[in-house]
Amino acid sequence: MNGLILTTQQALQLLFTGDPELWSIVLLSFSVSLKAILLSTPLAFLVSFALSHGNFPGIRIILAVFNSLLSVPTVVIGLFLYVLLTRQGPFGDLKLLFTQTAMVIGQIILCFPILVALGYAAIQAADRRVWETARTLRAPPWFSMLTVFFEVRFALLAAIITGFGRIISEIGISMMIGGNIMGYTRNITTAIALETSKGEFSQGIALGLVLLLLSFLLTTLMSYLQGQKDFLE
Amino acid sequence: MNLPLFVFRGIEKSFSGKKILCGTNLSLYPGKCILLSGKNGVGKTTLLKIIAGLETPESAEIEYDGRINDWKKILRKVRKEIIYLHQQPIMFSSSVESNVAYGLRFSSLNNQQRCESVKEAIEWAGLSNVAKIQAKTLSGGVQQRVAFTRAWILKPKVLLLDEPMSNMDYESRKQTFLLLEKVKSTGMSLVITSHFLNYFDDLADQHFRLMNGVLDLTNNY
Repeated sequence: MNGLILTTQQALQLLFTGDPELWSIVLLSFSVSLKAILLSTPLAFLVSFALSHGNFPGIRIILAVFNSLLSVPTVVIGLFLYVLLTRQGPFGDLKLLFTQTAMVIGQIILCFPILVALGYAAIQAADRRVWETARTLRAPPWFSMLTVFFEVRFALLAAIITGFGRIISEIGISMMIGGNIMGYTRNITTAIALETSKGEFSQGIALGLVLLLLSFLLTTLMSYLQGQKDFLE
Repeated sequence: MNLPLFVFRGIEKSFSGKKILCGTNLSLYPGKCILLSGKNGVGKTTLLKIIAGLETPESAEIEYDGRINDWKKILRKVRKEIIYLHQQPIMFSSSVESNVAYGLRFSSLNNQQRCESVKEAIEWAGLSNVAKIQAKTLSGGVQQRVAFTRAWILKPKVLLLDEPMSNMDYESRKQTFLLLEKVKSTGMSLVITSHFLNYFDDLADQHFRLMNGVLDLTNNY
């Protein structure tokens, strides 16, 4: 018990004294995951909109594919990308393995189906009359789509937050194609795994606390957004 | 009678194999009001949405400017001239003022002209006291007037109103009726669907009943 208290004290000390190694890991995590979510959101919501308002064959099949991708283990995505990016792989010449770019690509693959599925649910919940009203008031299709997005903005933001929460806490992709290189590809989750395997719990707990705090903030933000949505309705 | 603005011919539409509209024809004249009636589910809303370019017919021809065009070819023109108002209008999440200004973004007016136009329209519709209020929080009757003003400000040639007075109290009905009269007097063509025919006795010029997919002229006022 004393050991746990002591380790937690050390973890808090690392956090509040601004330990450069620890905070560089936190920054790298946020940098990679923010890039992934920012790059994937526009296209994902476009796909959601096309699936929701489009009238083309195969919509149900595409939706089923995206829904089944929601539960793909991160190590499978990591393995898939590893095979593609390894020196003998089809994209080996790009030399992306064990880089932040590879981590961003992996996280995009992970969050894209989440954004599409949740974005689709949000847009489906919007009244079809929003689109029709915008169109009949002479808005071009792209502006009518933005109008629909604006009307369901809280649900779309919740989708983004869920996607971000998923990718910042994943470990399989980061470990397999990031390589856990200190100062370059080591992020919060891979650092926790490494420190724990070394028996150095204080930094692991400190990083765990950052993740827990982030989870708390995201949940609070989602509740707030839900409240805003209810208020407007 | 003036020349028609639009003549819709041979509108065909089915849902799940069931024919809803079977070669329906309709001519729209400037400054005239057509009243459409028919049982629930007979296809009144579908017909209005096809006329507004919001629903795709299986086939239809439109006569415009003396020329007969395929529906698809003239769709863009139709959308510029015809506005459809839902039975229960959708208010965008913004103030009444912003809602009224929505369609003006796509006009050639500059900012100042837009503001003046919105102010004038809001006064015209008697909505000045709610101009800054979030439109979604207003009663159904006032929302219907906001939707109506939002359409009127764009000066379409034809206004299609789907059950505009359903769920309205007497006062709101009276105000909406006055607005419709004002609009008609400016030369705008109106098509109104309603179950309450007596509300529109003084406004309608023709009354059609939609039955078995075709329009039957039941009254020429």
